[in-house]
Amino acid sequence: MANRWGLPDLGIGIGLRTAHFTHILSEWPQVDWFEVLSENFMDTGGRPLHVLDQVALRYPVALHGVSLGIGNTAPLDREYLGKLKALATRTRAAWVSDHLCWTGFAGRNTHDLLPMPLDEPALRHVTERVRVVSDFLERPLVLENPSSYLEFATSSMPEWEFLARLAEDADCGLLLDVNNVYVSSVNHGFDAAAYVDAMPADRVVQYHLAGHTNRGSHLLDTHSDHARPEVWELYARALRRTGLAATLYEWDEDIPEFDVVRAEAQKAKAARDGVAAGERA
Amino acid sequence: MTDLARLQEWMQAVISHPGEIDEALRAAPGLQAAEVIRPSSTLTPAERLAIYQGMYPLRMEEALRSDYPGLAHLVGDAAFTALVRAYVAAWPSRSYTLNRLGDHLPEFLRGGGGGLRRPDLLADLAMLERAFSQVFDAEETPSLTEAEIAAVLPEAWADAVLEPIAALRLLELRYPVGLWLDAIKAQGEEHRHPRLARKDSRLVVYRRRYAVYREELDKSAHALLADLVAGRPLGEAVEAALGRPRAPAPERLTGWFRGWAGAGLFRAVRFP
Repeated sequence: MANRWGLPDLGIGIGLRTAHFTHILSEWPQVDWFEVLSENFMDTGGRPLHVLDQVALRYPVALHGVSLGIGNTAPLDREYLGKLKALATRTRAAWVSDHLCWTGFAGRNTHDLLPMPLDEPALRHVTERVRVVSDFLERPLVLENPSSYLEFATSSMPEWEFLARLAEDADCGLLLDVNNVYVSSVNHGFDAAAYVDAMPADRVVQYHLAGHTNRGSHLLDTHSDHARPEVWELYARALRRTGLAATLYEWDEDIPEFDVVRAEAQKAKAARDGVAAGERA
Repeated sequence: MTDLARLQEWMQAVISHPGEIDEALRAAPGLQAAEVIRPSSTLTPAERLAIYQGMYPLRMEEALRSDYPGLAHLVGDAAFTALVRAYVAAWPSRSYTLNRLGDHLPEFLRGGGGGLRRPDLLADLAMLERAFSQVFDAEETPSLTEAEIAAVLPEAWADAVLEPIAALRLLELRYPVGLWLDAIKAQGEEHRHPRLARKDSRLVVYRRRYAVYREELDKSAHALLADLVAGRPLGEAVEAALGRPRAPAPERLTGWFRGWAGAGLFRAVRFP
């Protein structure tokens, strides 16, 4: 099943990271696409943007942000949105994504992806803001489920229901991070399979995969390692529901050589091949 | 204020508090963790909040350590961690990018913020490292070409105003921190605290072909370049340079100007 906007399955991608700039510019490696952290490129006119321009000439690019603050209570930052839109145009981004979260209060930015209370007022609040952002960007916003380490007492619905209703009410896409689903399922004690089974398949535009760290009392989403087998199983399960969708492997801490990240990302191929075979049959 | 706003105000106060979680909860009025946060099977509400509170200073320190590696090296790990906590409490991020987090650090240090010894030295080092970051990220503006320079009639140069490229910063410091950074790089991470006696240092930091450069300037050269960057016509700037005490020979001025133009420090020449 394709997503409802006909946004393309870009294949298996890798995050564009400074540590790999030299390798990418010299080797132009075999990668389907790159995901770009928006804030790392929207406020610079130096080498990072120069590198991105060259990458965007050769590969499909999607933008992924961490500072939109879709759940913040302060007014949306129009300067930020303007720069985001300009970067999307400059790179011919396939889509623009961020997270279901809040990032700060009264103009401050904690630079964290803080969890929302999963209740009706919060759902109305975020729905309205997603509509405004999508109108401004002139494209559907794609939102990712974050990892979380706490739940609010006022929450009245599971995260998968909140996301599904948000996607429907605000007409936005979803970036399903299956590692985040797994991390949050352990931290909060819910069924990860039930989460992915509840995702509206035609709104899932992209997948994220990553590694996490077990701190004993909880799992921490560190993007610092290989993905766990449970995460790969969850990815395959989700993919069987949604059909092929662009998939990205995130590695942001202790970043190894490019080929190590690419090899980890390529593990997604097995699950994708299985789905493709099923679709052909 | 909505319930959501009240919740976010409270949680931000807790997770950005520099003390222990119990202290942070006592300092954040209005809500009680046990009423707002559900426990998990392994963690209390306060412990769950403490995960976010613990990550906040680490993220801030990582960003500032990336922008101020020399400063972090000079003061040492423990003192830098304490400095970051004090600085971020005074100047929390208000930008969508962490690249702007350290914008006030030099002035914070010069004012004695962080309680460290030799604040003027530390502020000078921070000013230089901030200039590196600003120049690294500045807008790319094309430099004057040799042909554009050659096209200016010789008699017109006196009225010419030279526009600097965006990726250029001029600094006047009290300590030779640029040379100190060179020594640190040359001698490796293990080398600590080479002598840093007070000695005026004037610098231009600029970017060319996406590489950042630092050049030490003598007093006369710095004054001349500062005049040009400020938009003073070339003739006036040269006259002022020649009128200063211990003025350089005119041919030295010509050499400096050629060197700066050759290094691509100017983007345009105009005649007001």
